[in-house]
Amino acid sequence: MAVSSPSSHLLILLLISCLDWPSTPASAFLLDRDHMTTSAPTEPHFTECISREQETFRCWWSPGTFQNLSSPGVLRVFYLKKDSPTSEWKECPHYNYSNRECFFDVNHTSIWIPYCMQLRSQNATFINEDDCFTVENIVRPDPPVSLNWTLLNISPSGLSYDVMVNWEPPPSADVAAGWMRLEYKIQHRERNATNWKSLATQPHTHQGIYGLHIGKQYEVQISCRMQAFTKFGDFSDSIFIHVTEILSGESTFPLTVVLVFGIVGILILIMLIVVSQQHRFMIIILPPVPAPKIKGIDPELLKKGRLDDLNLILSGGGMGGLSTYAPDFYQDEPWVEFIDVNAEDADAGEKEDNQGSDTQRLLGLPQHVSHHMNSGCSNTIGFPDDDSGRASCYDPDVLDHDTLMMMATLLPGQPEDEEASLAVEEDSLAVEEGVSTSERTLIQTQTTGPQTWVNTDFYAQVSNVMPSGGVVLSPGRQLRIQESTSATEEETLKKGKEGEDNEGTAEKKQKELQFHLLVVDPEGSGYTAESTARQISTPPCSRMSGEGYQTIHPQAVETKPAAPVEDNQSSYIVPDSPQSQFSAPVSDYTVVQEVDTQHSLLLNPPPRQSPPPCLPQHPLKTLPAMPVGYITPDLLGNLSP
Amino acid sequence: MNMMTVKQQGVWAALLWPYLLTASIPLDCKEEQGSLSRCPSISQEKLLDRVIQHAELIYRVSEESCSMFEEMFVPFPLRLQRNQAGYACITKALPIPSSKSEIQQISDTWLLHSVLMLVQSWIEPLVYLQTTLDRYDNAPDMLLNKTKWVSDKLISLEQGVVVLIRKMLDEGMLTATYNEQGLFQYDAQPDMLESVMRDYTLLSCFKKDAHKMEIFLKLLKCRQTDKYNCA
Repeated sequence: MAVSSPSSHLLILLLISCLDWPSTPASAFLLDRDHMTTSAPTEPHFTECISREQETFRCWWSPGTFQNLSSPGVLRVFYLKKDSPTSEWKECPHYNYSNRECFFDVNHTSIWIPYCMQLRSQNATFINEDDCFTVENIVRPDPPVSLNWTLLNISPSGLSYDVMVNWEPPPSADVAAGWMRLEYKIQHRERNATNWKSLATQPHTHQGIYGLHIGKQYEVQISCRMQAFTKFGDFSDSIFIHVTEILSGESTFPLTVVLVFGIVGILILIMLIVVSQQHRFMIIILPPVPAPKIKGIDPELLKKGRLDDLNLILSGGGMGGLSTYAPDFYQDEPWVEFIDVNAEDADAGEKEDNQGSDTQRLLGLPQHVSHHMNSGCSNTIGFPDDDSGRASCYDPDVLDHDTLMMMATLLPGQPEDEEASLAVEEDSLAVEEGVSTSERTLIQTQTTGPQTWVNTDFYAQVSNVMPSGGVVLSPGRQLRIQESTSATEEETLKKGKEGEDNEGTAEKKQKELQFHLLVVDPEGSGYTAESTARQISTPPCSRMSGEGYQTIHPQAVETKPAAPVEDNQSSYIVPDSPQSQFSAPVSDYTVVQEVDTQHSLLLNPPPRQSPPPCLPQHPLKTLPAMPVGYITPDLLGNLSP
Repeated sequence: MNMMTVKQQGVWAALLWPYLLTASIPLDCKEEQGSLSRCPSISQEKLLDRVIQHAELIYRVSEESCSMFEEMFVPFPLRLQRNQAGYACITKALPIPSSKSEIQQISDTWLLHSVLMLVQSWIEPLVYLQTTLDRYDNAPDMLLNKTKWVSDKLISLEQGVVVLIRKMLDEGMLTATYNEQGLFQYDAQPDMLESVMRDYTLLSCFKKDAHKMEIFLKLLKCRQTDKYNCA
């Protein structure tokens, strides 16, 4: 366009000019003031013209450096009101020489009409072309009045607060009539700070100041100007805002007190409840620890020692749900005494597997039993045995032959003591005959004999019932009979020791007592019961594996009620009729069902009828045909010849 | 200062839109014949308030436009010439009171008529100003928008004042405009600076008259509510 280059020229000029002048003057007087800073004018001039309410205005002049014109009345003010082309210069309507002021009252003041001012002396006229203005452009309103502040809120942290400041417009400004439209600007600062903080200009007569700090004193000032104009009036007098910390402290103090007292009260209450032993509350606060308890058993029964009820319960007849702990309660049974458990002499793992019984392996005890028999009660061992009851403490010297015999038979066999046990048996047999030496030997062998008890398993098999009413138990299933070894053992034993005596005695006994002889298994896995020669001639089938054991019943044994001969067939009491020759091994053990009132054992019947020869089976399966039932002491008497 | 004006212009641009809506509502529906839409009735006080709002906004926008133009196009030494250009204002010949005492003495009728005269005399020059500003190469859009807006609002202001005169003064519609002839002459100014100064004079004179209009209408309102304490 055609005006492009001139406009660019204009812009450049404008930019250059902008560098010189920091602000945009709205009237000549501003320009004059700035101009004075650069080059102070020496001739008389007007310093400022201000209107306070857009109805009147004042002008102040200065003589400059012309001191001869400083006296009042020398300089005269003339103004030109450009309301018509024919207007003329007029003199100031009202002089105030004290402060060199010319006041234009309402009658001489026109708005929206340019005024031009000039100073005249007698000789010269001092005029500045820039001293022209319109009244609305020189309005600087008076400051607002009636400043006050109210607290809005305090922050939760208690460190800062907000304030609302209210004021009234200056009374000189006719705001109500709409003659002037004002807007206000607030500035505030801390008491001893130097920089003011200004808020945005707004037309309302109230404004909030936010984020003041507690404890600090603040100073606030307000000024106003006409809306859409540039000149602000003077600032109002300062008001001071100060909020101390008392307010914030009071608000939180009762809260802490209440909290502390509440906690202390609760603690005291708990302590009282605990101390007063109120069980109801105690259970709530400190619940009781449950005591150990056996399901189905009333601990009161145990306390009061009511044994019968307890026996009933435990046998399963009463409450049920309990396993049969039968042996534990037969406290008064005499046969329990005969069970002797000796764990000191047993060696663990020194011998072959065949030698060591399960008991041995489980316990890890040495197989050899020391001379604990002599030591008497010290031999008793707290051996956890299911069915052996309690270990008896006995004095070997006072033992009768019966007990000795039983002991000998009960003891598990060992290879070393095999002879000794045999000797024991011999002696035991001889005891009946009144051989004194046998006793001694018995005693002597007994010292070594009982070493083999370790091989005894936990079970006790009733091998025979004594005439006196006692039941002979034989040790557990560890007693094995190995055909090869046992047979050789027996033969050697027979040849070596027993010889004819054994047989003779066996024959004798067989008629009278019909004892089974124990043959200690050289392997130590058990001991075999050596019956009479006839019995021996018919060796039972032995197991090759040696897991179980077979019972050898003497031929003279008619009845074998104790078919439950678990390990050895050493039943002392056997039926006199020797015709019942058991060629086949019998069951190892049977379970004692219950004890009769007459102290007779009720046993399970043997499961098998026809014993297969030398079958490596469980002994229970190869039971011969044996009479089912049990033998009472009365029956025994009948049996005895 | 530049940023402040820009922000102000932005604020006013947002504020102007509701007034555009208000301006679009026809103030006097009786004149239009055959129109199907019903005209909303408005009370005299509300109408006066709306007219006053119009005047206030017009003044503010005109003041911003003048400042913007002055900063952009007018050389600094020449900026105060507007004060001396009292003669050059086109409305200087109008019999309009210029002081508060004079305003207190004239009647409401004259007050309203004064306003109407002013409004009607400035409609055409503002249109001319739009065309001249478009010729400037680097005139900012804000300036152009403002002047455009002002010229539009002035027309609606005229409508409002006409209705007010009819309602308040029970006078007939004034059809003729006072300044229809000869007051404003478009002279081709080849010189750029002259053109700029002429436009600058135009803007400053309009700003002054807008201020005049605003005060007149406010005083009129004060007279309507409280006769004894008003100017």
